[in-house]
Amino acid sequence: MKALVCEAYGEVDDLNYRDMEDPVPGPDEILVAVKGIGVNFPDGLLVEGKYQFQPECPFAPGSEICGDVIALGSNVGNWAIGDRLISLTSTFGAYAEKIVLPADIPTPMPDFMSHDLGAALLGATGTAHHALRQRGQLKAGETLVVLGAAGGTGTAAVQIGKAIGAKVVAVCSSDKKLAFAKEQGADIGINYSKEDLKAAIKEHTDGRGADVVYDVVGGDAFDVCSRSMAWNGRLLVVGFASGRIPELPVNLTLVKGYSVVGVFWGQFTQNEPEVHAANMRELFAWVKDGTVTPIIDTVYPLSKGIDAIKYVTGRNVMGKVIIKPDEEIS
Amino acid sequence: MKALVCEHYGKVDDLVYRDMPNPEAGPGQVLVDIAAIGVNFPDGLLVEGKYQAKPATPFMPGGEFSGTIAALGEGVKGFAVGDKIFGWHTSYGAYAEQVAVAEEDIFKMTPSMSFEQGAALLCATSTSHYALKQRGQLKPGETLVVLGAAGGAGLAAVQIGKAMGAKVIAVCSTDEKIAFAKSQGADEGINYSTEDLKAAIKERTGGHGADVVYDAVGGDAFDVCSRSMAWNGRLLIVGFASGRIPTLPVNLTLVKGYSVVGVFWGTFTKKQPEDHAANMVELLQWFEAGKVVPVIDKTFALSDGVKAIQYVTGRNVKGKVVIKP
Repeated sequence: MKALVCEAYGEVDDLNYRDMEDPVPGPDEILVAVKGIGVNFPDGLLVEGKYQFQPECPFAPGSEICGDVIALGSNVGNWAIGDRLISLTSTFGAYAEKIVLPADIPTPMPDFMSHDLGAALLGATGTAHHALRQRGQLKAGETLVVLGAAGGTGTAAVQIGKAIGAKVVAVCSSDKKLAFAKEQGADIGINYSKEDLKAAIKEHTDGRGADVVYDVVGGDAFDVCSRSMAWNGRLLVVGFASGRIPELPVNLTLVKGYSVVGVFWGQFTQNEPEVHAANMRELFAWVKDGTVTPIIDTVYPLSKGIDAIKYVTGRNVMGKVIIKPDEEIS
Repeated sequence: MKALVCEHYGKVDDLVYRDMPNPEAGPGQVLVDIAAIGVNFPDGLLVEGKYQAKPATPFMPGGEFSGTIAALGEGVKGFAVGDKIFGWHTSYGAYAEQVAVAEEDIFKMTPSMSFEQGAALLCATSTSHYALKQRGQLKPGETLVVLGAAGGAGLAAVQIGKAMGAKVIAVCSTDEKIAFAKSQGADEGINYSTEDLKAAIKERTGGHGADVVYDAVGGDAFDVCSRSMAWNGRLLIVGFASGRIPTLPVNLTLVKGYSVVGVFWGTFTKKQPEDHAANMVELLQWFEAGKVVPVIDKTFALSDGVKAIQYVTGRNVKGKVVIKP
């Protein structure tokens, strides 16, 4: 099979599109023909050796796929050949034509969903959903501030925030991105390259501050938000797209009576599989009725996977970027 | 009346024991003859100008007290002259012989409660109660790590943690303090001056990490706890008795999936009065049941209030310190 391979930690440009041996499922595993791959911000960090995990080289990066079951391990009873599924892969390997997955990890994909939609849905939307439901305990009528609101997971946070009934404030770096975030349902936009973020949050919350902040950006934006929280607020730490991990003077949480809440969706799916399954049921229902719709910005062939990663890490994406094996692109 | 007065921000030593005008009960207020005053760690910070609030000088420090109602202001409905009460003075002023406070800020003492216990119950105990219940959402069977477990607030956290059904690990600087925390219900003790705190938390929790940490200490102990949390854990920021406010690299919360939760009881009583009232009902039930009972370490005279504050800020207290006029 073809795969996009990290031969040694280094530049994204050094990824190698080449043949790899087809993986073989063990007794409790399934073999999946990959139909779509979700590109996520950490994929670039991973191959640069800057992520919290460092798998052994050579490996194919990528942590979410959509595909069809093509072979079963001897103990597997919960899947049949031809089943459609979406899955996270905690051991990476998604940037390939085939992947082996533990049989208890993937989620069956409803018939109404296309492979493209499946590839775009899981990581970005699952993260935002877990963040806002379990970690943020977002309630109807609260104010949600979404940083990086035009990106894949930011867009999902905007849509899910509206689905929960919150007032959603989108924070972006350009008017074009803000317009996109508003199309996704954001009530208010803040262009932080033109407006003072702290003053703008204060103004749009009538001086109360943000009840919940969804932060995939970190850096300066986090620092501002850590001084813009409402009483009982929740500042959700989801990622660090800015490249800088913030350092928080913890007395800020005391004086304002708020919480800084870490969000690690991949770990959640493993530690709390039943809650994850319930989340997926809610998410599929939202997708079916149109409340939540992953927006696909661009589709790349696997052979151009480097361009896909660079497009995402360049932070100009609006919605999701997905990759498909070359022969799946007609 | 006599009072302990802060004439200007500076050293605790500079507090002056002198006459002050007697307060009067305004509308909605009661005038209280103070019987006992609870001493808290922030009292020292307040007069040094290091606390988040900075009242105009001259003022009397001190928040919590107990006593007998001497007079009622206009419109007071829930209390009568002669009622024994304990309360909280939100704008300070408890280091005195009398105080005038709003009736929302006082509670009737239960029959078995002494004035010393009443004066020691509100601030430290209610802070710990609010921290563990509303902020920490502590559940039965979870592991609670209490830093500074022998101090006033820490000891209350130990007792309340047990009342809520948690496994309680007391962290202290001496074996003597640990023995004291265990006598108050702690299941396990860690002496951080002889043991490695991180390894000890890991070992005492079977590798799981702490579900909830009650941290009124800050500094190095916080740094260790920020690397010792369980999945879905809650690290409660209550105070900084060590004198150093920690700085947290926030990716730690992401990787371990935990939360850093600020606890500010004073603002809670104002912003969520109904939750505060419900907490007090529960706290008094626990008190009557003997589950949460303040332990009085020492009692000082008001004229020796400087020594009382210094004893508390010296961090060698076991339980609570009380001042009496």
